[in-house]
Formats: sequence, structure tokens, C-alpha cells
Amino acid sequence: MPDVNLTIDGHKITVPAGTLIVEAAKTVGIEIPVFCYHHKLEPVGACRLCLVDFSPGPPRPQTACTTPVSEGMVVRTQSAMAVQARADILEFELANHPLDCPVCDKGGECPLQDFTFRHGYPTSRIDGPRLHFKKPIPLSDKIALDRERCVLCYRCTRYYDEVAWEQELTTDDRGVQSFITSQFDQPLKSIFSGNIIDLCPVGALTSRVWRFESRPWDMTHTETVCSKCSVGCSVTQWQRRGQLVRVTSHENDEIDEGWICDRGRFEYTDVNDPSRLRTPSIGGTRSTWSDAITAVVAGIQGKGSKLGISLAQDITNEEAFLFRKLLDGPLKGARVKMHGRTAIPAPAGPTMRIQELDEARVIVVIASDIENDVPIIDLRVKKAVSKRGARLIVVYPEGVDLDRHPGTVHINYEKGGAAAAVRGLATHELLENPGGLVAILFGDGHGSEDIKDLANACGDLAQKVGGKQMPLYRATNERGALAAGVAGWDKLDGIQALLSWGPPPTGGVPKSARFIAAWDHLPRPGYENAVVLPATTFAERQGSYTNVEGTVQFLRPPIAVRQPQKDGWEVLSELGAALGLRLDYPGILPLQRESGLHAPDPNPEPVPVLIGPSHP
Amino acid sequence: MPELRGSYGDQPHHILTRWFGTPDLHKLDVYADKAGGYTALRKAVVDMAPADITNEVKSSGLRGRGGAGFATGVKWSFINRGAPGPKYVVVNADESEPGTSKDRYILENSPHMLVEGILIAAYAVGANQAWVYIRGEYDEPYRMLNEAIEEARAKGYVGPKPFGKDYPLDIRLYRGHGAYICGEETALLESLEGKRAQPRSRPPFPAVKGAWGRPTLLNNVETLCTVPWIINNGGAAYTKLGTEKSPGTRLMSVSGNVNKPGVYEVELGQTFRHVIMELAGGIAGGHELKVFWPGGSSAPVLPAGMLDTKTDMESLAAARSMGGSGGVIVMDDQHCVIQAAYRLLKFYAHESCGKCTPCRVGGDWAVRMFERILANEGSQVEIDNLLRVSDGLQNGRCLCGLGDSAGWVIDSTFRHFREEYEDHALRHECNVGKSAPPALRATSPQAGRS
Repeated sequence: MPDVNLTIDGHKITVPAGTLIVEAAKTVGIEIPVFCYHHKLEPVGACRLCLVDFSPGPPRPQTACTTPVSEGMVVRTQSAMAVQARADILEFELANHPLDCPVCDKGGECPLQDFTFRHGYPTSRIDGPRLHFKKPIPLSDKIALDRERCVLCYRCTRYYDEVAWEQELTTDDRGVQSFITSQFDQPLKSIFSGNIIDLCPVGALTSRVWRFESRPWDMTHTETVCSKCSVGCSVTQWQRRGQLVRVTSHENDEIDEGWICDRGRFEYTDVNDPSRLRTPSIGGTRSTWSDAITAVVAGIQGKGSKLGISLAQDITNEEAFLFRKLLDGPLKGARVKMHGRTAIPAPAGPTMRIQELDEARVIVVIASDIENDVPIIDLRVKKAVSKRGARLIVVYPEGVDLDRHPGTVHINYEKGGAAAAVRGLATHELLENPGGLVAILFGDGHGSEDIKDLANACGDLAQKVGGKQMPLYRATNERGALAAGVAGWDKLDGIQALLSWGPPPTGGVPKSARFIAAWDHLPRPGYENAVVLPATTFAERQGSYTNVEGTVQFLRPPIAVRQPQKDGWEVLSELGAALGLRLDYPGILPLQRESGLHAPDPNPEPVPVLIGPSHP
Repeated sequence: MPELRGSYGDQPHHILTRWFGTPDLHKLDVYADKAGGYTALRKAVVDMAPADITNEVKSSGLRGRGGAGFATGVKWSFINRGAPGPKYVVVNADESEPGTSKDRYILENSPHMLVEGILIAAYAVGANQAWVYIRGEYDEPYRMLNEAIEEARAKGYVGPKPFGKDYPLDIRLYRGHGAYICGEETALLESLEGKRAQPRSRPPFPAVKGAWGRPTLLNNVETLCTVPWIINNGGAAYTKLGTEKSPGTRLMSVSGNVNKPGVYEVELGQTFRHVIMELAGGIAGGHELKVFWPGGSSAPVLPAGMLDTKTDMESLAAARSMGGSGGVIVMDDQHCVIQAAYRLLKFYAHESCGKCTPCRVGGDWAVRMFERILANEGSQVEIDNLLRVSDGLQNGRCLCGLGDSAGWVIDSTFRHFREEYEDHALRHECNVGKSAPPALRATSPQAGRS
């Protein structure tokens, strides 16, 4: 459809057909305030805040968030009718809103505050006792609800319905007595619950983990990448006085579209743990870096396969590259086990990109409960099904959240039978004439399947029906580690020395290990005699991850590495040098260049800075 | 046989109520034999093309009787018969507008008239499935309508081959759960779909995207009941009654301080004097008329001096009111307008669905302003706030008409009875006869005219 020409407040602009007036106004920097509208949700026109005047049209103001532009339209956001309508609506919203600003976490990044200053009356003429609710209500152990502050924009319930396909958040009662509540007053359980905090335009839904922690202007933030799983969602990490105080979403339409899961949002408090290790130690006694490195080298050198190396799931590409050098040289023969990885081997070639799910006509999810394994990909699949008409086939031995859609075809199999089930799909009616891309997502069934057989079956299916595959790696940098060849799968039984790069192995430290060297950020039981190097966390470390679809993304830590700590790649370089390798990198960039990774574009496109995540 | 509280019998303008009063009219065989029932359906399904049916309704000029008064034939033509996939007819039998009981009158007397109208409409717009959304409180009418549908089903009119035509027709009933907002068409659809009853943003309109996203024809009970007569007698015959822009007749439910409250079939164009003073027998108890609502409580009020306003839509619009649902609420000079307005605002605030800000918050604030005024704590501030709220509720600010209606109550009563507002708010007195509570008589320190 051809682009549309229109005039907004005297500016002549051209936008794609179907653009809503509120979005068209943004292109020329005109703010039309909105509460219920969010660009990722279906518009409803409920709050009435975005009323504008336009012709040709009815003589009354209309909501800009539900009206698409039309050719030759003239929009006035500053006419007397529109200005007064906006101020009136804001006055109504504030009429029952409690005077909580001094104690409300939203203050400083609150659209209600901002819009009132920019579009509302300077004083309110409506005064009297306000409506009261019991508050705050714990919606879960992470989210608090304040019903008095709620402006009933329904962004939270609509997000839950449309995006997350969950039913646990709803509205009760009617009219001015309406309030948001969880079903049967049960705590919210969904892994996607935290996004309602970002969506809420007022302080009604707040993070209990961040409660009373800081004002927005006391924090600095960076847009970085989450370290909790292989999807690699963009997140904003906020720091204050060297502490990681909160994590919110950051919109990356190629991967997460502005949503993050509760793991990424709430699992960060270990970064601020007061018992964080800051100096190296040998057998519990503080030491210098050079002594500690020497001790590590002494313990791991020349052990061959009696040395076990346990790698964290979020090992960076740069660290993986250095480990490869160690394993090719002085640590040859060591056994390597990477945390949290799937059994899926490295991909043979390029795999499907997450963004391509939007265009898929049929999506097949095999041997993976993606809601828990790769949560934000689960949301993208849901979007493709409910908003873009894709059909969905789930091949899994148990029920999953995707079954909630009436059109989902669910195929069960006995554990071990995934490959056979996939082969049976070749003749499924939905795949006869898919009419477009077929997306084939497959996991490893948490170890219950013969992964080679399954991978072959998926490859054959893809070829037959015109599909693309996405192997669902789980560990944060599983793909990067696989590419570097360090995503080990070896058993660590019987080792004599353990080099634990990250948290201790999930199976526990093997009893046979007489020497333990650890790169860890917290003290652990059983490390009394170990050589422990103080680790950086995801909030301080520099480096990159390769996500599930193969995109390399660079971490931008909000907190600088605190002396005397050193970053992982630095420590590995020193370790390698002490083991006889020539590893002399003046910084991380030369390391990245040598490893084949490209440094980030020095001139990225500027991102508009709105201080809070709730401004749509 | 139900007690007849209103029009019945053979009069030239009794299009709908001609046969009311016939014993057992609610039974199919009586309806068919005595009242000529289902001849229109047979004619429509067997002899007419669907497009012709719609044209006949268009030519009649029939306007929706639910409240909005939209041209019915035009509404039918909005449904794209040729589009693939199912279409629906949904009947709005929610009748919750205060002062309105006409649909109940029809359902208690001649439910088959509605069944016939629904089937003709469904055939005309290409729908096979019709839903009747009936308010939950209408127990007896629901039962009677259910029986009527089952009788029609036994006769084959509702079923796979009505009159042998290969066009399945089905009607299902859905009972409401006690919310006025379900009378608003898109909120009705939401409730029908099992969701929270809150209106949708329009466009898209139900004719394009209605029940379950499908093209849907939504009509009021009385509107559809008029269709069989139009099919039998022709659209042109309908235009012989009424006015040019508001042809035909409508059922007006008259209630309040009248001698003979009831549902009267009135030729559009008649005056309200005829309706209230003649048909309803005038004001009871020897009192004088003070104010009346011409079209349900949502229609702006008219004072006694405008009793000669005509009942057609254009005359009412010129009088700054509306035809609405035809519920005429009559109030005499023994009653306080402020009390009445307060009671109505309480209704609107209670029934507000809460989706849009101005109605949700403004309705509640208006109630509080009235309470302050009626408790003798009022002042110019309360009046100003009431007018401000009233302004904030109108002119497209709200998502649906409920907000506008609440605004019109304040607006119209203030326009015609300003002195009563000022008596209460500024002078803390009520100068209306017997209905003013003792506390409002001149006993407060600020009493007495200023």
C-alpha cells in the first residue's frame, strides 16, 4: 500500500499506510500522551488521554491511538478542544490518585508525572476524599501492586492475555471500584510476570527486589545483554554506587521486542552480595595475583586428562578463545565440562534467526519446553500464532503452555521417541501446503533423546517442507563455546585437579580432586584449601556472547571492574602466559580482533533516551 | 394471559400491538392462524431474494428502536453477504435503559413476532446463526421466548430447511448477568463471547468485525419485530405513518407520576402531550407536570413547557433531546429535580464499566458533588465541578454513550432547572413540595433566600 501524506500541527509528513496517528506524531517529535496505548499491544482507546482533533472527521475529538492516518488528514494536537480534553482526562486520573510521589518508586520516570507537567492543569479543582484500597498487595514475591495508584490502563492484563497467554492477572468489580487482581489471590507464577513492571505507566506495579532502592536520577545505566540463557535479550542494567540495583528491558526487535523473562529481570542480587570475593586467596589466606596464578599453574600443569575444567554457561567468546589456546597447548588432554548446555552438537551451517518466526506459516516445536528453556522465543512463537496467523505443532511428551491456543496441534511421544515423531510429521496435513516458511525448533528433550537421530530427522523434515531449523541451545554462550570448541561434555569423575571457571560444577566437586582452583565471585563450601580468584560477574565483565541464532552481541557492563579485581580474559591471559603461551593483549579489542570477532561499530545509531522503561 | 399494560387491538397505527390481547398469542398456532404469523417469513425465504428483503426494509425508512435510531435497512446493507465465513445476527434484548419496558411487553405478549423478525433478518444478511442476548432479570420473557423458539424449531422454521429452503437457521439465547453496559452493542458482544463486558473501540463496527470477529448484525427487539409487517405490507406502506424522516410507529413505555402507566404504540410525529396527557391519562393525584425524560433516562430532559414537542427524532433533536429508547419518565411538581438527577447519576456511576477514565472517575465525582449539595454542604464550587464533570463526560471524551448520558443528565437538568440547583447549593434549601426530606426545609443557618 502506498505511503500516506498528512499534516500534524502544521508539519507535513509521509508515513506508511496503517500508521496510527500517535506513532505518526512521534516521527516529528510531537508527544501525544498515552496510558493504555503501547506499541506492542493491540490499541484499545480506553484511557482517552490521546484525544486529538482531526479533519476530515467527526466534530468530536477521537483517540489518536486507534485511528490510522488517511491521505490528506489534518491533525491538530494543540487545538483548544484537544488541549482541554487532555488536561481534563489527566485531572480525572489524578482525582483518585494518591499523593504518593515522595514514597513511590516510579517518581522521576513516571509518565503520569511527566504528562501532568507537560499537558495537565497546574492545580486540580476536584478535591475530596479519595478512593482507598488495601495496599500494597504482593502479587508475587517479586512484584507489588498498589491499587490506589492504578490508572486502569489495562496494559498489564492485556499483556498477560495477548502476549504471555496467561490468565493469572485480571480485573475485578466494575466502574470506579475496579481493581487489578491475581486469579483467586494466588501469587503470580508466570516466568513472564515481570514485564508488567516495565509496562505500568504509574507506580502501581513495582519491583519488590528494587523497592526503595534508588531514584532514577541516582542511577546510571547501560544497554547490555542478558546472561541467563541463550536467547541473549537486550536488557538495561542500572547501577548505583557500584551496585547493580535493577534490570529492565531494552527493546531489540530482532530478538526480544522489549520483553525479558523473570530470570533475567530478578536474578541479579548475587552481584551485590556483601560476601563477594574481591582478592585472590590461597587456602583461605589472602594473596597477591602473581602468587595465586603461580599456585594455580602449579596445580594444573602437566596433569593431562587428570585435569578437569568446568566452564560456566556464560563464559564469553573471548574467554572461550583463550581456553581453546590453553587446551591446544599446555592443558592438552584436559577434560572439559560446560554447565547447562544441551546435547545438541554445533550447527552445520547458518540457522534460522529469531526474527524469522514472524514470517513463519507453520511453527514446529520439538523436544523442548521453550517456556522455561528459551522463554522469550516462546513469546515470539505466541505472537506469530495469535497475531500473524501461524499454525503451531508441539512435539513433546507433556502438556506445555503453547497448548492453551485452541489451534495448537500437540503430538506426544514416549521418552526417546522424538525422532520417530518428527519423521511421522512429514505427512501431517498442516505441512502439506504450508504456504510459506516452516520454522523447526528443536531441543534435546533434556537429555532423553538420541540427539544425532533427532537432528537428522529435523534436517530431513526441513528439507522436505521448506523449513528452517533453530536448534535450541540453552546455555548462555553455548554457541560461542561450541564454535571455539570448548563446550565440553566430558565426565569429571576421577580427576585429580579441578579448574572451575565459574560456579562449582552442578554435579558437585569430584571427591578425587585433590587440587581445586576456582574463578568464582562468591565463597563456596568445600573451597577451604582451594586457590580462589575473585571473579567478575555479568555486570562487570567485558566480552561477547553468541546467542542461540548465532548473533554475536557485546556486553556493556554498567559497573567497572573494581581494583584489585581483574576481568576474566585478563586473568586467562596471565594464566596462559604463566603456562608458557605468548598471550599479551593490551586490551580486549585486540583480543577480539585476533579471535575473529569484530569490535562493535564505534558509531551505533543513537537511541532516544527516555529515562524510564514505561514510556511507550 | 399477561395483564395488558398498554396498547392492543385494531387501530390504524397499531402495527406491532394489533394482536396483543388475543388469548395464547404466544403459541405458534394462534400466532399463525389469528395474527397471520410466519407468512412474512415464508414470503421472504421462498419468494424474495435476500437483497430485495434488505431493500424493502430500507424503503420503509425504519430506524433502530434501541436508542441510536440508525436507519435499519442501511445497517443491514453493511453486512457483506458475499464475504466467506460465518456471519451472525445478534438481538439486543438487554433492555436496561431506565424507564423502558417495551421489549418486555413484546416478549410477554408475542414472542413469535421476534422469532419471525430474527429469521427474516438472518436470511437477508447471510447469517445462519442468531443469538438473542436477553437481560438476566427477564425470567418470564426468557422462558416464553425459549418456548417460542422450540415451537418454531418443531415446525421447521428454525432448522436446516425452513420452508424447504436449503438455508439452515438457528437461534440461541444468552442470558445477561445484570449490567446496563451490556446494552451497548460492543460490550454486549464482549459479554456474549464470555469476556468482561466493556465496549470496544469503534471502528471497526460490528458489521465488519462483530461477534468472534465475524460480520454481525445487531438490532433491537422492537426493530426486528417491525420487519414481518414491512415484508407483508411493503416498505412504502410503513412510510404512510409517522413523519418523513421518522416513519412508522414506536412503542413508548410511559412511567412515573401518570394515571395509566403502560407501553403505548404511538405514531411518530404525535406530541408528548398526546402520549402523557391522553394515552397515559395525565398526571396522577391532581398535580402538575414538571419535567419528563422523552427517551429513557439517557435522553436530556424536557420541562413541562415543552410538552408539545413531537415524538419524531428530528423534533426531539431540535429540542436538544433525543428519541432514545422511547421510555417516557414523567415527574410532577412534587418531586425535586436534584434528587432525581442524583439518583440517575448514582445509576450511571454504578453501571459504569470502568474502562474509560472520564466515565469511571467523573461519574463517581458527580455523585459526590450531588451528595455534598443534598447534604447542604454545597456552594458554587460544587455547581462548577458538576458542570465541569458534565463537560468532561460529553463530546467524544468517553468510549461509549453511557458517559454522554450521564453528562446529559447534569447538563439538561441544569439548563432547565438552574434555580433548583442554586436553591440547594447556594441557599441550602429545597422549594419543592412533599418529597423534600425534612432536613432540606429551611432549618439550616444558611436558609432563606439571599
